[in-house]
Amino acid sequence: MSNLLRAELLKLRTTRTFVALVGVSLLLSLLVVVLTGLLSDRIAPEDASDLFTADFTGLFIMLLGVIGMAGEWRHRTITGTVLAAPDRLRLMAAKMLAYAAAGLLLSLIVTVTIMVVGAIIFSARGFEAVPFSDLADVLWRNLVVAALVGALGVGIGALLRNQVVAIVGVLILGFVIEPALFGLAPDVARFGPTQGAPSGIQDIEFFGEESDPLSPGAATLVMLGWIALFFAAAGVRLRRHDLV
Amino acid sequence: MAPVEVRDLSKRFGSVLAVNNLSFDIKAGRVTGFLGPNGAGKSTTLRALLGLVRPSTGTATFDGRHYEELERPSAKVGAVLEDASFHPGRTARNHLRVLAVTGDHPFERVDAVLADVGLTEAADRRVGGYSMGMRQRLGIAAALLGDPEVLILDEPTNGLDPPGIVWMRGLLRAQAARGRAVLVSSHLLAEVAQSVDDVVVISRGELRGHGTLESVLGGDEGLVTAVRAQDDERLTRALQAAGHTVKRSGDGLLVPGASPEQVGVVAGDAGVYLVGLAAQTRSLEQAFLALTGEATS
Repeated sequence: MSNLLRAELLKLRTTRTFVALVGVSLLLSLLVVVLTGLLSDRIAPEDASDLFTADFTGLFIMLLGVIGMAGEWRHRTITGTVLAAPDRLRLMAAKMLAYAAAGLLLSLIVTVTIMVVGAIIFSARGFEAVPFSDLADVLWRNLVVAALVGALGVGIGALLRNQVVAIVGVLILGFVIEPALFGLAPDVARFGPTQGAPSGIQDIEFFGEESDPLSPGAATLVMLGWIALFFAAAGVRLRRHDLV
Repeated sequence: MAPVEVRDLSKRFGSVLAVNNLSFDIKAGRVTGFLGPNGAGKSTTLRALLGLVRPSTGTATFDGRHYEELERPSAKVGAVLEDASFHPGRTARNHLRVLAVTGDHPFERVDAVLADVGLTEAADRRVGGYSMGMRQRLGIAAALLGDPEVLILDEPTNGLDPPGIVWMRGLLRAQAARGRAVLVSSHLLAEVAQSVDDVVVISRGELRGHGTLESVLGGDEGLVTAVRAQDDERLTRALQAAGHTVKRSGDGLLVPGASPEQVGVVAGDAGVYLVGLAAQTRSLEQAFLALTGEATS
Protein backbone atom coordinates (compact mmCIF):
# COMPACT_ATOMS: atom_id res chain seq x y z
CA MET A 1 0.00 0.00 0.00
CA SER A 2 2.81 2.43 0.78
CA ASN A 3 4.26 1.91 -2.71
CA LEU A 4 0.86 2.61 -4.26
CA LEU A 5 0.42 5.73 -2.16
CA ARG A 6 3.92 7.00 -3.06
CA ALA A 7 3.22 6.30 -6.72
CA GLU A 8 -0.05 8.26 -6.63
CA LEU A 9 1.65 11.20 -4.92
CA LEU A 10 4.37 11.07 -7.58
CA LYS A 11 1.69 11.15 -10.27
CA LEU A 12 0.27 14.29 -8.65
CA ARG A 13 3.68 15.96 -8.55
CA THR A 14 4.56 15.16 -12.16
CA THR A 15 1.72 16.84 -14.03
CA ARG A 16 0.54 20.42 -13.98
CA THR A 17 -3.00 19.64 -12.80
CA PHE A 18 -2.32 20.07 -9.09
CA VAL A 19 -0.34 23.28 -9.54
CA ALA A 20 -3.01 24.68 -11.87
CA LEU A 21 -5.78 23.98 -9.39
CA VAL A 22 -3.77 25.48 -6.54
CA GLY A 23 -3.28 28.56 -8.68
CA VAL A 24 -6.92 28.96 -9.65
CA SER A 25 -8.17 28.26 -6.13
CA LEU A 26 -5.69 30.71 -4.65
CA LEU A 27 -6.55 33.37 -7.18
CA LEU A 28 -10.28 33.16 -6.58
CA SER A 29 -9.94 32.98 -2.81
CA LEU A 30 -7.55 35.95 -2.77
CA LEU A 31 -9.91 37.92 -4.99
CA VAL A 32 -12.74 37.45 -2.52
CA VAL A 33 -10.59 38.35 0.49
CA VAL A 34 -8.98 41.37 -1.19
CA LEU A 35 -12.23 42.80 -2.54
CA THR A 36 -14.00 42.23 0.75
CA GLY A 37 -11.16 43.79 2.67
CA LEU A 38 -10.95 46.83 0.41
CA LEU A 39 -14.61 47.48 -0.15
CA SER A 40 -16.12 46.79 3.28
CA ASP A 41 -16.64 49.56 5.80
CA ARG A 42 -16.07 47.22 8.67
CA ILE A 43 -15.26 43.55 9.14
CA ALA A 44 -15.75 42.02 12.57
CA PRO A 45 -13.31 39.28 13.62
CA GLU A 46 -16.01 36.61 13.43
CA ASP A 47 -16.88 37.69 9.87
CA ALA A 48 -13.21 37.58 8.93
CA SER A 49 -13.01 34.03 10.23
CA ASP A 50 -15.87 33.04 7.96
CA LEU A 51 -14.10 34.75 5.07
CA PHE A 52 -11.03 32.57 5.63
CA THR A 53 -12.93 29.31 5.24
CA ALA A 54 -11.87 29.45 1.56
CA ASP A 55 -15.10 28.07 0.14
CA PHE A 56 -13.76 27.68 -3.38
CA THR A 57 -10.96 25.46 -2.14
CA GLY A 58 -13.22 22.61 -1.10
CA LEU A 59 -14.83 22.51 -4.51
CA PHE A 60 -11.50 22.56 -6.35
CA ILE A 61 -10.11 19.83 -4.16
CA MET A 62 -13.12 17.64 -4.89
CA LEU A 63 -12.63 18.31 -8.60
CA LEU A 64 -8.95 17.44 -8.22
CA GLY A 65 -9.94 14.04 -6.85
CA VAL A 66 -12.46 13.55 -9.66
CA ILE A 67 -9.85 14.43 -12.28
CA GLY A 68 -7.25 12.22 -10.67
CA MET A 69 -9.47 9.14 -10.89
CA ALA A 70 -11.70 9.74 -13.92
CA GLY A 71 -8.68 11.04 -15.77
CA GLU A 72 -7.34 7.48 -15.88
CA TRP A 73 -10.17 6.69 -18.30
CA ARG A 74 -9.94 9.99 -20.12
CA HIS A 75 -6.26 9.50 -20.91
CA ARG A 76 -6.68 5.72 -21.32
CA THR A 77 -4.06 5.10 -18.66
CA ILE A 78 -6.34 2.88 -16.57
CA THR A 79 -5.07 -0.28 -18.27
CA GLY A 80 -1.45 0.47 -17.42
CA THR A 81 -2.41 1.54 -13.91
CA VAL A 82 -4.31 -1.69 -13.23
CA LEU A 83 -1.51 -3.79 -14.73
CA ALA A 84 0.90 -2.16 -12.29
CA ALA A 85 -1.58 -2.42 -9.39
CA PRO A 86 -4.01 -5.26 -10.13
CA ASP A 87 -5.74 -5.05 -6.73
CA ARG A 88 -8.27 -2.45 -7.81
CA LEU A 89 -9.67 -1.73 -4.36
CA ARG A 90 -6.21 -1.05 -2.94
CA LEU A 91 -5.54 1.15 -5.93
CA MET A 92 -8.65 3.21 -5.24
CA ALA A 93 -7.85 3.40 -1.53
CA ALA A 94 -4.33 4.62 -2.33
CA LYS A 95 -5.74 7.29 -4.64
CA MET A 96 -8.18 8.40 -1.96
CA LEU A 97 -5.38 8.77 0.57
CA ALA A 98 -3.18 10.56 -1.95
CA TYR A 99 -5.85 13.05 -2.89
CA ALA A 100 -6.75 13.57 0.76
CA ALA A 101 -3.10 14.52 1.29
CA ALA A 102 -3.12 16.70 -1.82
CA GLY A 103 -6.27 18.40 -0.58
CA LEU A 104 -4.61 19.06 2.76
CA LEU A 105 -1.64 20.69 1.05
CA LEU A 106 -3.79 22.77 -1.29
CA SER A 107 -5.96 23.96 1.59
CA LEU A 108 -2.90 24.76 3.71
CA ILE A 109 -1.37 26.87 0.94
CA VAL A 110 -4.59 28.76 0.19
CA THR A 111 -5.76 29.24 3.76
CA VAL A 112 -2.43 30.49 5.10
CA THR A 113 -1.97 32.80 2.10
CA ILE A 114 -5.40 34.41 2.37
CA MET A 115 -5.00 34.77 6.14
CA VAL A 116 -1.70 36.58 5.69
CA VAL A 117 -3.00 38.81 2.90
CA GLY A 118 -6.26 39.40 4.74
CA ALA A 119 -4.48 40.31 7.94
CA ILE A 120 -2.33 42.85 6.07
CA ILE A 121 -5.36 44.47 4.42
CA PHE A 122 -7.44 44.48 7.59
CA SER A 123 -4.59 46.00 9.57
CA ALA A 124 -4.05 48.68 6.93
CA ARG A 125 -7.73 49.55 7.07
CA GLY A 126 -7.80 49.61 10.86
CA PHE A 127 -10.08 46.60 11.34
CA GLU A 128 -9.91 44.60 14.54
CA ALA A 129 -7.41 41.74 14.26
CA VAL A 130 -8.64 38.16 14.26
CA PRO A 131 -7.34 36.30 17.32
CA PHE A 132 -4.69 33.70 16.52
CA SER A 133 -6.78 31.01 18.19
CA ASP A 134 -9.63 31.74 15.78
CA LEU A 135 -7.26 31.54 12.82
CA ALA A 136 -5.94 28.21 14.05
CA ASP A 137 -9.51 26.99 14.47
CA VAL A 138 -10.38 27.96 10.88
CA LEU A 139 -7.20 26.33 9.59
CA TRP A 140 -7.71 22.88 11.12
CA ARG A 141 -11.36 22.80 10.05
CA ASN A 142 -10.36 23.72 6.49
CA LEU A 143 -7.74 20.98 6.50
CA VAL A 144 -10.22 18.35 7.69
CA VAL A 145 -12.73 19.33 4.99
CA ALA A 146 -9.97 19.38 2.38
CA ALA A 147 -8.85 15.84 3.19
CA LEU A 148 -12.40 14.51 3.17
CA VAL A 149 -13.55 16.14 -0.07
CA GLY A 150 -10.32 15.10 -1.81
CA ALA A 151 -11.02 11.46 -0.99
CA LEU A 152 -14.68 11.84 -1.91
CA GLY A 153 -13.73 13.29 -5.30
CA VAL A 154 -11.77 10.12 -6.08
CA GLY A 155 -14.79 8.01 -5.17
CA ILE A 156 -17.05 10.08 -7.43
CA GLY A 157 -14.56 9.84 -10.27
CA ALA A 158 -14.21 6.08 -9.80
CA LEU A 159 -17.96 5.53 -9.88
CA LEU A 160 -18.78 7.76 -12.84
CA ARG A 161 -15.50 7.27 -14.82
CA ASN A 162 -16.46 9.94 -17.36
CA GLN A 163 -14.49 13.00 -16.34
CA VAL A 164 -16.82 15.57 -17.89
CA VAL A 165 -19.94 13.96 -16.42
CA ALA A 166 -18.31 13.73 -13.00
CA ILE A 167 -17.13 17.36 -13.00
CA VAL A 168 -20.47 18.67 -14.19
CA GLY A 169 -22.22 16.45 -11.67
CA VAL A 170 -20.17 17.82 -8.79
CA LEU A 171 -20.82 21.42 -9.88
CA ILE A 172 -24.56 20.82 -10.23
CA LEU A 173 -24.66 19.10 -6.88
CA GLY A 174 -22.78 21.92 -5.18
CA PHE A 175 -24.35 24.93 -6.85
CA VAL A 176 -27.85 23.74 -7.68
CA ILE A 177 -29.06 20.60 -5.93
CA GLU A 178 -27.82 21.18 -2.41
CA PRO A 179 -28.84 24.87 -2.28
CA ALA A 180 -32.25 23.94 -3.70
CA LEU A 181 -32.57 21.14 -1.18
CA PHE A 182 -31.91 23.59 1.61
CA GLY A 183 -34.91 25.56 0.53
CA LEU A 184 -37.09 22.47 0.40
CA ALA A 185 -35.75 20.33 3.24
CA PRO A 186 -33.02 22.04 5.27
CA ASP A 187 -32.72 19.17 7.72
CA VAL A 188 -31.78 16.93 4.78
CA ALA A 189 -29.57 19.47 3.02
CA ARG A 190 -27.15 19.69 5.96
CA PHE A 191 -26.09 16.10 5.18
CA GLY A 192 -25.03 17.03 1.64
CA PRO A 193 -21.46 16.11 0.68
CA THR A 194 -20.40 19.31 -1.13
CA GLN A 195 -21.89 22.09 1.04
CA GLY A 196 -24.05 20.76 3.87
CA ALA A 197 -21.71 18.51 5.82
CA PRO A 198 -18.54 20.57 5.10
CA SER A 199 -20.35 23.62 6.50
CA GLY A 200 -20.90 21.66 9.70
CA ILE A 201 -17.20 20.83 10.01
CA GLN A 202 -16.24 24.44 9.29
CA ASP A 203 -18.96 25.71 11.64
CA ILE A 204 -20.29 28.24 9.13
CA GLU A 205 -23.84 29.08 8.23
CA PHE A 206 -23.37 28.43 4.54
CA PHE A 207 -27.04 28.62 3.76
CA GLY A 208 -27.62 31.71 5.86
CA GLU A 209 -28.62 32.43 9.43
CA GLU A 210 -31.57 30.02 9.23
CA SER A 211 -29.34 27.04 8.59
CA ASP A 212 -28.66 24.68 11.46
CA PRO A 213 -25.47 22.86 10.46
CA LEU A 214 -24.44 19.57 11.95
CA SER A 215 -21.88 19.57 14.73
CA PRO A 216 -18.29 19.16 13.46
CA GLY A 217 -18.12 15.61 14.81
CA ALA A 218 -21.41 14.54 13.26
CA ALA A 219 -20.54 16.26 9.98
CA THR A 220 -17.20 14.47 9.85
CA LEU A 221 -18.95 11.13 10.33
CA VAL A 222 -21.42 12.03 7.58
CA MET A 223 -18.57 12.83 5.20
CA LEU A 224 -16.84 9.56 6.09
CA GLY A 225 -20.13 7.84 5.35
CA TRP A 226 -20.31 9.48 1.92
CA ILE A 227 -16.73 8.38 1.20
CA ALA A 228 -17.50 4.82 2.30
CA LEU A 229 -20.63 4.76 0.16
CA PHE A 230 -18.84 5.90 -2.98
CA PHE A 231 -15.90 3.60 -2.25
CA ALA A 232 -18.23 0.62 -1.96
CA ALA A 233 -20.26 1.45 -5.06
CA ALA A 234 -17.21 2.30 -7.14
CA GLY A 235 -15.38 -0.74 -5.80
CA VAL A 236 -18.11 -3.10 -6.94
CA ARG A 237 -18.17 -1.50 -10.37
CA LEU A 238 -14.39 -1.37 -10.67
CA ARG A 239 -13.88 -5.01 -9.76
CA ARG A 240 -16.48 -6.20 -12.26
CA HIS A 241 -15.39 -3.89 -15.04
CA ASP A 242 -13.72 -5.63 -17.98
CA LEU A 243 -10.94 -3.39 -19.30
CA VAL A 244 -11.24 -4.07 -23.02
CA MET B 1 4.48 -26.18 -15.08
CA ALA B 2 4.83 -23.83 -18.04
CA PRO B 3 5.46 -20.15 -17.33
CA VAL B 4 2.14 -19.33 -19.02
CA GLU B 5 -0.81 -21.73 -19.03
CA VAL B 6 -4.22 -21.14 -20.53
CA ARG B 7 -6.75 -23.84 -19.74
CA ASP B 8 -10.27 -24.10 -21.15
CA LEU B 9 -10.52 -20.33 -21.32
CA SER B 10 -13.84 -18.91 -22.44
CA LYS B 11 -15.12 -15.36 -22.40
CA ARG B 12 -18.57 -14.23 -23.29
CA PHE B 13 -19.58 -10.60 -23.75
CA GLY B 14 -23.36 -10.69 -23.67
CA SER B 15 -24.40 -12.95 -26.53
CA VAL B 16 -20.96 -12.93 -28.15
CA LEU B 17 -18.61 -15.82 -27.33
CA ALA B 18 -15.29 -14.09 -27.91
CA VAL B 19 -13.08 -16.94 -26.69
CA ASN B 20 -14.20 -20.54 -26.64
CA ASN B 21 -12.48 -23.23 -24.62
CA LEU B 22 -8.94 -22.13 -25.43
CA SER B 23 -5.98 -24.06 -24.05
CA PHE B 24 -2.26 -23.58 -24.73
CA ASP B 25 1.09 -23.17 -22.99
CA ILE B 26 3.89 -20.70 -23.58
CA LYS B 27 7.37 -22.06 -23.00
CA ALA B 28 10.34 -20.29 -21.46
CA GLY B 29 13.25 -19.52 -23.74
CA ARG B 30 11.06 -19.33 -26.84
CA VAL B 31 9.20 -16.67 -28.78
CA THR B 32 5.60 -17.65 -29.42
CA GLY B 33 3.51 -15.89 -32.04
CA PHE B 34 -0.16 -15.46 -31.21
CA LEU B 35 -1.94 -15.26 -34.54
CA GLY B 36 -5.47 -14.86 -35.74
CA PRO B 37 -7.64 -12.67 -37.94
CA ASN B 38 -9.27 -9.50 -36.66
CA GLY B 39 -11.89 -10.35 -34.07
CA ALA B 40 -10.44 -13.80 -33.45
CA GLY B 41 -10.19 -13.22 -29.71
CA LYS B 42 -6.47 -12.53 -29.37
CA SER B 43 -6.79 -9.30 -27.40
CA THR B 44 -9.50 -10.79 -25.19
CA THR B 45 -7.27 -13.77 -24.45
CA LEU B 46 -4.29 -11.57 -23.60
CA ARG B 47 -6.42 -9.35 -21.39
CA ALA B 48 -7.87 -12.37 -19.58
CA LEU B 49 -4.31 -13.54 -18.99
CA LEU B 50 -3.39 -10.15 -17.56
CA GLY B 51 -6.37 -9.92 -15.25
CA LEU B 52 -7.95 -7.05 -17.16
CA VAL B 53 -10.90 -9.15 -18.27
CA ARG B 54 -12.64 -11.71 -16.09
CA PRO B 55 -12.93 -15.11 -17.83
CA SER B 56 -16.38 -16.64 -18.07
CA THR B 57 -14.81 -20.04 -17.50
CA GLY B 58 -11.32 -21.50 -17.44
CA THR B 59 -8.04 -20.14 -16.18
CA ALA B 60 -5.03 -18.24 -17.40
CA THR B 61 -2.03 -18.38 -15.08
CA PHE B 62 1.65 -17.61 -14.64
CA ASP B 63 3.41 -20.53 -12.92
CA GLY B 64 0.02 -21.54 -11.62
CA ARG B 65 -0.98 -18.12 -10.28
CA HIS B 66 -3.45 -15.62 -11.61
CA TYR B 67 -2.06 -12.20 -12.51
CA GLU B 68 -3.91 -10.53 -9.62
CA GLU B 69 -2.28 -12.98 -7.19
CA LEU B 70 1.29 -12.14 -8.20
CA GLU B 71 3.16 -10.32 -5.43
CA ARG B 72 5.17 -8.14 -7.78
CA PRO B 73 3.40 -8.44 -11.12
CA SER B 74 5.81 -6.22 -13.04
CA ALA B 75 8.74 -8.42 -11.98
CA LYS B 76 6.95 -11.47 -13.34
CA VAL B 77 5.14 -10.16 -16.41
CA GLY B 78 5.81 -7.24 -18.73
CA ALA B 79 3.05 -6.32 -21.14
CA VAL B 80 2.65 -3.98 -24.09
CA LEU B 81 -0.95 -3.73 -25.20
CA GLU B 82 -2.25 -2.15 -28.34
CA ASP B 83 -4.27 0.60 -26.69
CA ALA B 84 -1.73 1.47 -24.01
CA SER B 85 -1.56 5.17 -23.43
CA PHE B 86 0.21 7.68 -21.26
CA HIS B 87 -0.71 10.92 -19.52
CA PRO B 88 0.25 13.54 -22.10
CA GLY B 89 1.44 15.99 -19.47
CA ARG B 90 3.93 13.64 -17.85
CA THR B 91 7.47 13.01 -19.09
CA ALA B 92 8.60 9.52 -20.06
CA ARG B 93 11.07 9.44 -17.20
CA ASN B 94 8.39 10.32 -14.66
CA HIS B 95 5.99 7.80 -16.16
CA LEU B 96 8.57 5.08 -15.65
CA ARG B 97 9.42 6.37 -12.18
CA VAL B 98 5.78 6.02 -11.18
CA LEU B 99 5.85 2.41 -12.37
CA ALA B 100 9.16 1.83 -10.60
CA VAL B 101 7.71 3.06 -7.32
CA THR B 102 4.57 0.97 -7.77
CA GLY B 103 6.55 -2.16 -8.57
CA ASP B 104 9.29 -1.50 -6.00
CA HIS B 105 12.05 -1.31 -8.62
CA PRO B 106 15.12 0.93 -8.24
CA PHE B 107 15.21 4.16 -10.25
CA GLU B 108 18.38 2.89 -11.92
CA ARG B 109 16.14 0.54 -13.92
CA VAL B 110 14.40 3.60 -15.38
CA ASP B 111 17.63 4.88 -16.88
CA ALA B 112 18.53 1.39 -18.05
CA VAL B 113 15.30 0.69 -19.94
CA LEU B 114 15.24 4.19 -21.42
CA ALA B 115 18.68 3.45 -22.85
CA ASP B 116 17.56 0.01 -24.04
CA VAL B 117 14.75 1.50 -26.13
CA GLY B 118 16.68 4.57 -27.28
CA LEU B 119 14.63 7.19 -25.45
CA THR B 120 17.28 8.64 -23.14
CA GLU B 121 17.50 11.95 -24.96
CA ALA B 122 13.72 12.38 -25.10
CA ALA B 123 13.11 11.09 -21.57
CA ASP B 124 12.42 14.51 -20.06
CA ARG B 125 9.98 15.62 -22.73
CA ARG B 126 6.26 15.33 -22.15
CA VAL B 127 4.76 12.24 -23.75
CA GLY B 128 2.08 14.36 -25.40
CA GLY B 129 4.70 15.45 -27.92
CA TYR B 130 5.91 11.95 -28.74
CA SER B 131 5.51 10.25 -32.10
CA MET B 132 3.71 6.91 -32.32
CA GLY B 133 7.02 5.09 -32.55
CA MET B 134 8.33 6.83 -29.45
CA ARG B 135 5.17 5.92 -27.54
CA GLN B 136 5.60 2.32 -28.60
CA ARG B 137 9.19 2.35 -27.36
CA LEU B 138 8.04 3.84 -24.05
CA GLY B 139 5.49 1.06 -23.71
CA ILE B 140 8.23 -1.49 -24.26
CA ALA B 141 10.45 0.27 -21.73
CA ALA B 142 7.63 0.07 -19.20
CA ALA B 143 7.22 -3.65 -19.90
CA LEU B 144 10.95 -4.27 -19.40
CA LEU B 145 11.21 -2.19 -16.24
CA GLY B 146 10.83 -5.10 -13.84
CA ASP B 147 13.10 -7.39 -15.91
CA PRO B 148 10.16 -9.79 -16.12
CA GLU B 149 10.22 -13.52 -16.76
CA VAL B 150 7.33 -13.28 -19.21
CA LEU B 151 6.86 -10.70 -21.96
CA ILE B 152 3.49 -10.24 -23.59
CA LEU B 153 3.33 -7.90 -26.57
CA ASP B 154 0.26 -7.04 -28.61
CA GLU B 155 1.21 -5.66 -32.04
CA PRO B 156 4.61 -4.42 -30.79
CA THR B 157 5.80 -3.19 -34.18
CA ASN B 158 2.95 -0.69 -34.56
CA GLY B 159 4.41 2.69 -35.32
CA LEU B 160 7.98 1.43 -35.65
CA ASP B 161 10.02 2.22 -38.74
CA PRO B 162 12.01 -0.56 -40.48
CA PRO B 163 15.10 -0.12 -38.27
CA GLY B 164 12.76 -0.18 -35.29
CA ILE B 165 11.16 -3.40 -36.47
CA VAL B 166 14.60 -4.99 -36.84
CA TRP B 167 15.46 -3.76 -33.36
CA MET B 168 12.24 -5.26 -31.98
CA ARG B 169 13.01 -8.59 -33.60
CA GLY B 170 16.43 -8.59 -31.95
CA LEU B 171 14.89 -7.65 -28.61
CA LEU B 172 12.45 -10.54 -28.71
CA ARG B 173 15.14 -13.04 -29.61
CA ALA B 174 17.48 -11.66 -26.94
CA GLN B 175 14.79 -11.96 -24.28
CA ALA B 176 14.08 -15.55 -25.30
CA ALA B 177 17.79 -16.31 -25.29
CA ARG B 178 17.86 -15.14 -21.68
CA GLY B 179 15.26 -17.75 -20.85
CA ARG B 180 12.22 -15.49 -20.91
CA ALA B 181 8.87 -16.64 -22.23
CA VAL B 182 7.81 -14.23 -24.98
CA LEU B 183 4.29 -14.07 -26.42
CA VAL B 184 3.79 -11.80 -29.42
CA SER B 185 0.43 -11.09 -30.97
CA SER B 186 0.73 -9.74 -34.49
CA HIS B 187 -1.03 -9.48 -37.83
CA LEU B 188 2.27 -9.22 -39.72
CA LEU B 189 2.81 -12.84 -40.69
CA ALA B 190 6.05 -12.22 -42.53
CA GLU B 191 7.43 -10.43 -39.51
CA VAL B 192 6.19 -13.19 -37.19
CA ALA B 193 7.89 -15.81 -39.33
CA GLN B 194 11.26 -14.14 -38.80
CA SER B 195 10.81 -13.72 -35.05
CA VAL B 196 9.06 -16.72 -33.56
CA ASP B 197 9.77 -20.31 -32.65
CA ASP B 198 6.22 -21.42 -31.91
CA VAL B 199 2.77 -20.22 -32.89
CA VAL B 200 -0.69 -20.34 -31.42
CA VAL B 201 -3.33 -19.74 -34.08
CA ILE B 202 -6.90 -18.90 -33.17
CA SER B 203 -9.95 -18.03 -35.18
CA ARG B 204 -13.46 -17.13 -34.02
CA GLY B 205 -12.28 -17.64 -30.45
CA GLU B 206 -11.14 -21.21 -30.99
CA LEU B 207 -7.72 -22.82 -31.22
CA ARG B 208 -6.73 -23.77 -34.79
CA GLY B 209 -3.15 -24.78 -34.27
CA HIS B 210 -0.42 -24.81 -31.66
CA GLY B 211 3.18 -25.86 -32.09
CA THR B 212 6.32 -24.92 -33.95
CA LEU B 213 5.94 -22.49 -36.81
CA GLU B 214 6.98 -25.18 -39.27
CA SER B 215 4.50 -27.75 -38.05
CA VAL B 216 1.54 -25.41 -37.82
CA LEU B 217 1.98 -23.17 -40.84
CA GLY B 218 4.61 -24.92 -42.94
CA GLY B 219 7.04 -22.00 -42.80
CA ASP B 220 7.25 -18.89 -44.88
CA GLU B 221 7.09 -19.47 -48.62
CA GLY B 222 7.36 -23.20 -47.84
CA LEU B 223 7.51 -25.66 -50.71
CA VAL B 224 4.85 -28.34 -50.71
CA THR B 225 4.60 -31.16 -53.24
CA ALA B 226 1.23 -32.65 -54.10
CA VAL B 227 1.42 -36.27 -55.22
CA ARG B 228 -1.05 -38.98 -56.19
CA ALA B 229 0.10 -42.58 -56.34
CA GLN B 230 -1.35 -45.98 -57.15
CA ASP B 231 -0.45 -47.07 -53.63
CA ASP B 232 -0.68 -44.08 -51.29
CA GLU B 233 0.05 -46.10 -48.18
CA ARG B 234 3.26 -47.61 -49.56
CA LEU B 235 4.39 -44.19 -50.78
CA THR B 236 3.57 -42.67 -47.39
CA ARG B 237 5.72 -45.27 -45.62
CA ALA B 238 8.58 -44.71 -48.03
CA LEU B 239 8.44 -40.92 -47.66
CA GLN B 240 8.30 -41.12 -43.88
CA ALA B 241 11.25 -43.53 -43.86
CA ALA B 242 13.13 -40.91 -45.88
CA GLY B 243 12.39 -38.32 -43.18
CA HIS B 244 9.53 -36.46 -44.85
CA THR B 245 6.24 -35.38 -43.28
CA VAL B 246 3.20 -36.61 -45.17
CA LYS B 247 -0.33 -35.21 -44.96
CA ARG B 248 -3.42 -36.54 -46.67
CA SER B 249 -5.23 -34.04 -48.85
CA GLY B 250 -8.32 -35.13 -50.71
CA ASP B 251 -7.46 -38.10 -52.91
CA GLY B 252 -3.72 -37.48 -52.71
CA LEU B 253 -0.86 -36.58 -50.42
CA LEU B 254 0.95 -33.35 -49.51
CA VAL B 255 4.64 -33.46 -48.65
CA PRO B 256 5.72 -30.16 -47.04
CA GLY B 257 9.32 -29.09 -47.53
CA ALA B 258 10.02 -31.56 -50.34
CA SER B 259 10.47 -30.83 -54.04
CA PRO B 260 8.76 -32.91 -56.74
CA GLU B 261 12.17 -34.32 -57.65
CA GLN B 262 12.77 -35.55 -54.11
CA VAL B 263 9.34 -37.16 -53.94
CA GLY B 264 9.89 -38.72 -57.36
CA VAL B 265 13.19 -40.27 -56.27
CA VAL B 266 11.63 -41.76 -53.14
CA ALA B 267 8.71 -43.14 -55.16
CA GLY B 268 11.08 -44.61 -57.74
CA ASP B 269 13.26 -46.26 -55.13
CA ALA B 270 10.14 -47.74 -53.48
CA GLY B 271 8.71 -48.93 -56.79
CA VAL B 272 5.53 -46.89 -56.41
CA TYR B 273 3.86 -45.68 -59.60
CA LEU B 274 2.82 -42.02 -59.53
CA VAL B 275 -0.37 -40.70 -61.09
CA GLY B 276 0.27 -37.04 -60.39
CA LEU B 277 3.22 -34.95 -59.13
CA ALA B 278 3.37 -31.16 -58.80
CA ALA B 279 4.97 -28.44 -56.67
CA GLN B 280 2.55 -26.43 -54.60
CA THR B 281 4.15 -23.31 -53.22
CA ARG B 282 2.09 -22.28 -50.22
CA SER B 283 2.81 -18.97 -48.71
CA LEU B 284 2.54 -18.33 -45.02
CA GLU B 285 -0.51 -16.22 -45.71
CA GLN B 286 -2.20 -19.05 -47.57
CA ALA B 287 -1.39 -21.48 -44.81
CA PHE B 288 -2.73 -19.07 -42.24
CA LEU B 289 -5.91 -18.44 -44.21
CA ALA B 290 -6.43 -22.17 -44.71
CA LEU B 291 -5.96 -22.82 -41.02
CA THR B 292 -8.25 -20.04 -39.85
CA GLY B 293 -10.87 -20.70 -42.47
CA GLU B 294 -10.89 -17.06 -43.55
CA ALA B 295 -11.77 -16.20 -47.18
CA THR B 296 -9.00 -14.81 -49.34
CA SER B 297 -9.38 -11.27 -50.71
